[in-house]
Amino acid sequence: MPAQKILTFPHPILKKRAHRVERLDESIRGLIEDLIDTMREGPGSVGVAAPQIGVSLAVCVIDVSGSRHGKDNNHGLLAMVNPEIVAREGAAVMREGCMSVPDYTGDVERATGITVSYLDEAGVERRIDASGFEAVAIQHELDHLDGILFLDRIVSLKTGLFRRKSYK
Amino acid sequence: MNSEHSDGLAHFAVTIISKDRPGIVADTTEVLYRLGCNIADSSCTMLGGDFAMILIISHEKPFTKARLSDEFRALHERTGLVVHLRSLHEDELIKQPDDGELCLISVYGSDQPGIVYRVTRLLADKSVNITDLNTRLIGTKEEPVYVLMLEAILPAGMTVAATSEMLEPIRRELNVEIGVRAITPVSL
Repeated sequence: MPAQKILTFPHPILKKRAHRVERLDESIRGLIEDLIDTMREGPGSVGVAAPQIGVSLAVCVIDVSGSRHGKDNNHGLLAMVNPEIVAREGAAVMREGCMSVPDYTGDVERATGITVSYLDEAGVERRIDASGFEAVAIQHELDHLDGILFLDRIVSLKTGLFRRKSYK
Repeated sequence: MNSEHSDGLAHFAVTIISKDRPGIVADTTEVLYRLGCNIADSSCTMLGGDFAMILIISHEKPFTKARLSDEFRALHERTGLVVHLRSLHEDELIKQPDDGELCLISVYGSDQPGIVYRVTRLLADKSVNITDLNTRLIGTKEEPVYVLMLEAILPAGMTVAATSEMLEPIRRELNVEIGVRAITPVSL
């Protein structure tokens, strides 16, 4: 299958929680192929979640190996079915953008290290530790599976720094 | 601004600076809402004891500046808000391409004349385009400290390291701390 069109907000599927995959069959493997093709097509894209191509299933792909932030610290191409973050540590802010919310970027705080469990495309249970940019990308894509956009996580207006007179 | 949204629209720049109080944004945007104006882009913030609003607004043509002026005059009579209004030309609506690295430059040190000027003149001479800038005087009366934070797009090919190096003479002469960090958004 060729690359699919990336849906943009306000498409309602982007704000819905995706369904868990009950049977990892050929159709899911086809979906994973579509996600990979779509990711490869997007300029600088490092991940795509199924809801972004109109499928409300908990499937996403991530590959930060070709990006300058992730090239030295990554697991290569990851296809994740029913992924779940089981541990997280640290926090760092990065300015994110999203193909589903064009023309906007914002500062988002993410864990710097995570442990993710998921099924791979063969249905094998996996558990990986990710850090740095790969961890950011995984958290961003997993948010899509929960109907969360980066707009829901923006922590500061860029000019909001250095404004407070008192701190609580 | 997304230019495909601007066909058939008249655009205006609106600025308001007024003694801060709750309701400045609501009073202003109520007028815009009733007129059917779009707020295409805006940045509003507290500056000292004032609140400053900068808006790019649009309205379907035909629409005149005089119509807006009349409404803002009435707003002034009701609320005391003084609105400055300017028509925008087509070529002002096109956003410059921003292919280079986006970086945050932080400058801070003992307050002295010329911190903003020296830094921004050098950046301008090197074709570094500032996209956001704010400053603040902090510290004590005895030891005032000046903080300048700006975001800028480097010209294609210029690195963060080269930019930091380029600022070294100012760092030394003014005895201020200058940091340059890449904050180019990541596309996910």
